[in-house]
Formats: sequence, C-alpha cells, structure tokens
Amino acid sequence: MLNLGYGQIAVTSAIAVALAMEAGIPILPAAALGLLIGGLFGLFLDLTILRPVYRLRGEARVLLSLLLTLGVSFIVDGFLNWRFPLKTLNLHIGGGAVEILGVPMRRGSLVASAITLATFAGLFVFFGRTSLGRAIRSVIEDEEGARLIGIDPKKMLRLILVLSGVLAALVAVTRSMVAPVDTKSGLSITVFALIVTVVGGLGNVVGALLAGIILGIVNVIAADFIGSYISLIILLVAAAVTILIRPAGLLGVKE
Amino acid sequence: MLEVNGLSAGYQGNDVVHDVAFRVHQAEAVMIIGSNGAGKTTLFKTLCGLLSPSSGKVLFEGGDITGIPAERIARLGMRFVSAARHLFPRMTIEENLLLGAYPNKPEPETMSIVLDLFPRLAERWRQRAGTLSGGEQQMLAIGRALMSNPRLLVLDEPSTGLAPLVARAAYEALNVLRERGLTVLVTEQQVPLAMAFCDRGYVLENGFIRLEGTTEQLAANLAVRSAYLGVT
Repeated sequence: MLNLGYGQIAVTSAIAVALAMEAGIPILPAAALGLLIGGLFGLFLDLTILRPVYRLRGEARVLLSLLLTLGVSFIVDGFLNWRFPLKTLNLHIGGGAVEILGVPMRRGSLVASAITLATFAGLFVFFGRTSLGRAIRSVIEDEEGARLIGIDPKKMLRLILVLSGVLAALVAVTRSMVAPVDTKSGLSITVFALIVTVVGGLGNVVGALLAGIILGIVNVIAADFIGSYISLIILLVAAAVTILIRPAGLLGVKE
Repeated sequence: MLEVNGLSAGYQGNDVVHDVAFRVHQAEAVMIIGSNGAGKTTLFKTLCGLLSPSSGKVLFEGGDITGIPAERIARLGMRFVSAARHLFPRMTIEENLLLGAYPNKPEPETMSIVLDLFPRLAERWRQRAGTLSGGEQQMLAIGRALMSNPRLLVLDEPSTGLAPLVARAAYEALNVLRERGLTVLVTEQQVPLAMAFCDRGYVLENGFIRLEGTTEQLAANLAVRSAYLGVT
C-alpha cells in the first residue's frame, strides 16, 4: 500500500499547529495537537477510503491506494489553499549557529535532527523488540500467515495508518524548524517521502533512515551548487538509479 | 473436540467440498486423505476460517465456529499449518516463533519443547525464515503453531515439497507431540506416512467423503489400496 496523501497530512497538521499558536497555545501543546491531528487524519483514511483497498491484494491494492490517496491529497490541497492560502508554520529557533567539529550548524537543524533520530530509535525498538511491532511487520510480510496465528490484519493496518499520520505531522513540525511549511509544501514532502521509501526499500526502517540521510545530503549540496529545482530532478534520478541497481532498495532483500 | 456437519464450501459460489461430516476426538490423530484436487485444502481452509462455508456447521470444543474469521479461530486454540506455510520470510526464526505466541508472552517451557523437537531451529535462531530449506520451513511453521499451546493442530499436507527422509522426520516430530496428548488433524497425499501416524481417517473424493474408518480398516479396504496406495 502506498499513501500519496502523506504530504497533505503533514500540511494539515502544520496549519493546525499554526492556528493553535495564533490562538495563544504554547508551542509544545500546539505541536502535540498537530501530532494528534495527523494521527486522526490517518485514522480517517483507514476508516473511509482505504476500506476497499484492504479488500484487494498485491499490485491492485498498491494501485488503488495510490489513486485514492492522491485524490484525497488533491481535495485537501484545494481546501487548504482556498481557506488558508497565506498560513505558514514557522517554528524558527533563534540564536546563532552552533559549531560542531568546526562546522557551523543552525540550531533549528540540530533540534530537528535530534527529534528525528530519537523518533527513528523509537521506531527501531518498537518494530524490532516489541510484540506489537513484530505483529505489524508480520502483516506486511504475509497477511494470511498473520491471520493464521491470530493477528487481525485490519487492526494492524489501522495502527500503521495512525502511526504514519503522526509521523507525517512530526515531519511538518521538524521541517518548520528549518524552513517555513505552508499549504504548498505538501507535494514536495510526498515526493521526498516516496523517493526515500523507494531508495530505502519498502517497509525498511533502517533503509529509510540511511536513504533519508544520503538523499538529504545530496539534496542540500545540489540545491546549494546548482539550484533547488534541479536538485529535485537529481533526487529522482538517484531514485531511478537505485531501482535499476537494487530493485528492493538500499538494504532491501530479494524475495 | 472438532465436529463438522454437512459442510459445503468453495470459491465464488462453486462448491468444491459437499456435505462433509467428520469428527476428531480429544487426543486423536485423524487424517483426511484423497488425491490431488479432491478438495482437501478447500476443506481445511474452511475449517480454519480462511474461507466461509456455503452451508453446514463446524463445532470446536462444543462452540460454533462456523464462518468465524481465521484470526479469531487461531486464538481459540485451533492452529492451522498451511501447505503454503505462510512464514514471515524477512523475519528471523526467533521472531517467527515469538509471533506464534502473540498476543501472549511466549512461555519458556513451550519454547524449549519446540526447540527440543526441532533443534535445527535453534541453530538458525537469527537467520531469516526465507533462507531456510523446505524441511526447516515446515519445522518452523509447525513450531510457530505450537508456540500458542494449541489443543488442536490442523496440518495441510505437511510432507509437501519435502524429500522422503525429511517428510518422515517431520512425522516423527508429530508423533512426539501426539504422545504428549496433542490432538491432530492432517491431510496427506502421501498416504503411507499418514497411515503410520493416524488412528482414524476419512477418504475425500471429488469433494465427498467416500470412506471412513480406523487406519487398519482403511488400509484393508481394497478401494483405498488400489486408488491411493497404488497396490492392486
């Protein structure tokens, strides 16, 4: 299953956080509210348009999920651009640059990276060491096999959707520490998520982290030296080359 | 323990098994034998909840489990080991076994029983299930089902794809479990293997149960001999 509404979930959460902060809510509760909105968005997708998707198997499921979530993202995009065209989430973290090993780093980047790494560590432990995390993976591996040992795939898929919604919201919050997130940021977040997923290998947490770091570096260097529009093309080329060389992703295993 | 009455089932309204009735008593080993395409797998998929029957009733330990989804039946203490095994290929042996006990914590005692039974699994503890040989995958599939301490183990063609020696080893392991009091229902195409293992059996032919009896009775039956043992 592929969710192309990911960027729009992030943007919706970002707008919610921005509105909450305008209403005078402090940043931490506002961010928590954003994560909640992201999770609820995921839950909503699970309970509504993804129902028919779950009935399908294999390629048909991927294709239908792709089309339906793309449709949702258009609707959300249109709505947000209509209602909140100028709304921007900007959690700029002030103070001068911090020098690490002689390299000046922006405080916002450091905080965002720290949150991201901590989240990855949490996900790694959750999926690798807890029985619920393993149960979720079992459904991704073999749905029928999961059912035969008493795991309900529908519940696990719902958990995945809620969790990915929360993570999308977290992307919006951390991203806004580095650059403003507005209603037009959705597409680039989705595209970046898609590229990272493909390069890292579907359903591979460590692969996604590795791909995120490598592509992030490629992206920044390309944007600095060549230009931000060309850097997106370079990322897409990097993804295409990865698929050609390692169809299952960087750390993927052939099945 | 398991009681099946008038069960018909199939795919998209076309029944493959018709009006099937049989019983499995506590601590018994019962086989359903029949040639390829007789409906054994369809019957077993229906029993364990992967398919919904078009009519009939299935009772497990007195409770009606007809049409209940597979994930709920699995939690009732009846575990199905599919001929396709349905392991989690990119997860380790350890993870596959631990998941067998889900949502409960695996009992150390059960784990040691499984690893005593299949020492190969302990040797490959951190290896991905997808890298195992066919025989090892079958051991893992059975081991994973045992992790939940089921009262009834339902096996669909455990010898599928296994070399004769490996298939015999799998049945030896099942024998150990039987002696511990586990109730087993098994389908098998390699009839001699099942005959050596089971107390009673049923012969499924074109979706109907044609014969039933103790293993000795079935073995003595000429029809069975000619049709399934290749002896005339």
